[in-house]
Amino acid sequence: MSRRRADKKENEPEVRGPNSALTAFLREQGIDAGAIRRRYEQSLLTERNEQTSHLHEQEEPFQENEIILAAIEKRRRRRTDANSDSGYSDSSFSSDDVKDSHYCMNCDREFKITVYSKKLEKDGKVGYLCTECTRFQVDQERRKKKTAFEARKKRKKLASALLNRQELKIPSLQDICIKLLSKHIDDVHALGDISVVSLNKISRILSKNRSLNNRTMMLFLDVTLKHLEFWDCSNIDMAYLDKITAFCPKLESMTLNMCGQLHNSNLISFAQNLLDLNSIVLNGPFLISEPTWVQFFELMNARLKLFHVSNTHRFSGDSLQSLLTNCGTSLESLSLSRLDGLMSKAAYDVLPYHLRNLKHLDLSNPFKENLIDDNLIMSILSVNGESIETLLLDGCSGLTDLFLVKGVKRYCSSLKRISLESLDQVTDSGLTQLFGGWTINSGLIEVNLKRCFGLGDRGILTFLNHSASSLVSLNLNSVYSLSHTLFQTLSRTLKLPLLTALDLGFVRSVDDKAIAILSRICPKLKELEVYGNNRCTQRARIRRGLKVLGRQSDSI
Amino acid sequence: MSDEEGDFDKEEFVTLISSDGFKFIISKEIAEVSGTLRNMLGTSFQEAESNRITLHEIDGVLMEKIIQYLHYNFQYKDQVDVPEFDIPTEMALELLVAADFLDV
Repeated sequence: MSRRRADKKENEPEVRGPNSALTAFLREQGIDAGAIRRRYEQSLLTERNEQTSHLHEQEEPFQENEIILAAIEKRRRRRTDANSDSGYSDSSFSSDDVKDSHYCMNCDREFKITVYSKKLEKDGKVGYLCTECTRFQVDQERRKKKTAFEARKKRKKLASALLNRQELKIPSLQDICIKLLSKHIDDVHALGDISVVSLNKISRILSKNRSLNNRTMMLFLDVTLKHLEFWDCSNIDMAYLDKITAFCPKLESMTLNMCGQLHNSNLISFAQNLLDLNSIVLNGPFLISEPTWVQFFELMNARLKLFHVSNTHRFSGDSLQSLLTNCGTSLESLSLSRLDGLMSKAAYDVLPYHLRNLKHLDLSNPFKENLIDDNLIMSILSVNGESIETLLLDGCSGLTDLFLVKGVKRYCSSLKRISLESLDQVTDSGLTQLFGGWTINSGLIEVNLKRCFGLGDRGILTFLNHSASSLVSLNLNSVYSLSHTLFQTLSRTLKLPLLTALDLGFVRSVDDKAIAILSRICPKLKELEVYGNNRCTQRARIRRGLKVLGRQSDSI
Repeated sequence: MSDEEGDFDKEEFVTLISSDGFKFIISKEIAEVSGTLRNMLGTSFQEAESNRITLHEIDGVLMEKIIQYLHYNFQYKDQVDVPEFDIPTEMALELLVAADFLDV
């Protein structure tokens, strides 16, 4: 305290009233309002003297106008501040001081500076713009902000289109009409003379937005119709399903998805009345009972060429037996997927004895993995090997390398499409053995090895060497053992000329360099999925026409 | 541009005639947005020489809408932020048939 007393200035009064913390602080620091004001007035005086002697110094208007503007600011502030205890007087800041004219930085016009004049910094010198230039500048900035905003919107749109795998292009007139029709489908009485392609498109859109019901479904029934596809029959009653037989007697192929309402009588009437029917795809027909299946196959007999059924627990071993005895020899395409009613191995084991002309076989997702084993597949292939073109065995994790090496390699000369999703017992050496020197087969077109954890670089390399020239679609999602050397080797030795879709999700070694390599060696590649690969960033160099999906930088 | 009767510069314009006799003269570039018209005008058919195409199944009102779409498509060909193309609901079905025919 005594030290402070010594620092006290002489001209301060001894007695002081209560003070605010601010004034106490300022006093402690030695900041004196009067001194500042004096200093300022001094500088104003010196500047005025300098200004009269010469003209165009850029710093000058800066300092003076800066101060003037600061003063105007302070005055404004002071006006709102009722109880200020600073002692500035108004007199030195009359409006006359503001009216000094200055030269515009851009167009050199003489103008009066106001609060709205924009400050411009050019070549290190600072100055102000006249009203015209200010207006222009403000306009430019607004436009720039707008384009930045639009660019951001466009980026978002592209990112979300990428995620939805849609091509962002102008809609065709047909698509616009179809969308409009689907929206007002309740007002449509008849679809008229439209091509089958458009009809199918409309039926798909209606299925997608769940407006395929009794009434709308009637729009698609036509006497000459040969192929019918309804992807969502959940809103179609049993009575209306019967109308299919009445209205389309010439039907040859039928696809009914989500057909929970399909009753026994419907199915039997299909078999009895649709005499040209040779292919039927049913997904979810859980109301059909066992005896009905048996009766259906007995009625269909040798007519049935294509039979795909999935997602019903009532398709049992007996139904399968009836299918095989009655239609086994005529069947060319068979799909028994997710049928929980097939619970015994014995049910599956009769397959090889009846199937002779199979082109397409799908036994995905059996009830238990041990129901489908190597021997079964090998016996089927030994009979059908030459004709089989598609083999789908997703989820049959009871299978090992054996069926590949002793079954597929030995017999399948026409095989084009294979799907072995989740077959974790298949090893790298098995794949190498299969594709190494597989002379009878000229090359696979579609391959799905998703979640085959046992595979590694060597197997995949052998496979690619075998099928490089024919491969169109490849899925290696979650085959995490693949390393960077695989891509390097590919880059030096192989080209994949027809590859259009490639899924490398969760293959951690895939990074920007790998993407660039693939972009180069696969000229037709359109979609590359790299979900979960955090080494793939937006810096990856990809060519036009290639969509890379799943990078973290593609945020919406 | 040569000024013969009914003929404009042969390289630039085509005449589309609707079923009820309305004539629409549009630029060739725009007509070729439609696949069918492009093929008609490209080969050695009579239409290619005379630059006149008669469309018997499409009436005047539909024709006008289609030409509107051809211009819309041509203008916003590669843009991302395109405005919507409006169609009166009553016209949707016939327009679909016509669009299907014209591959547009």
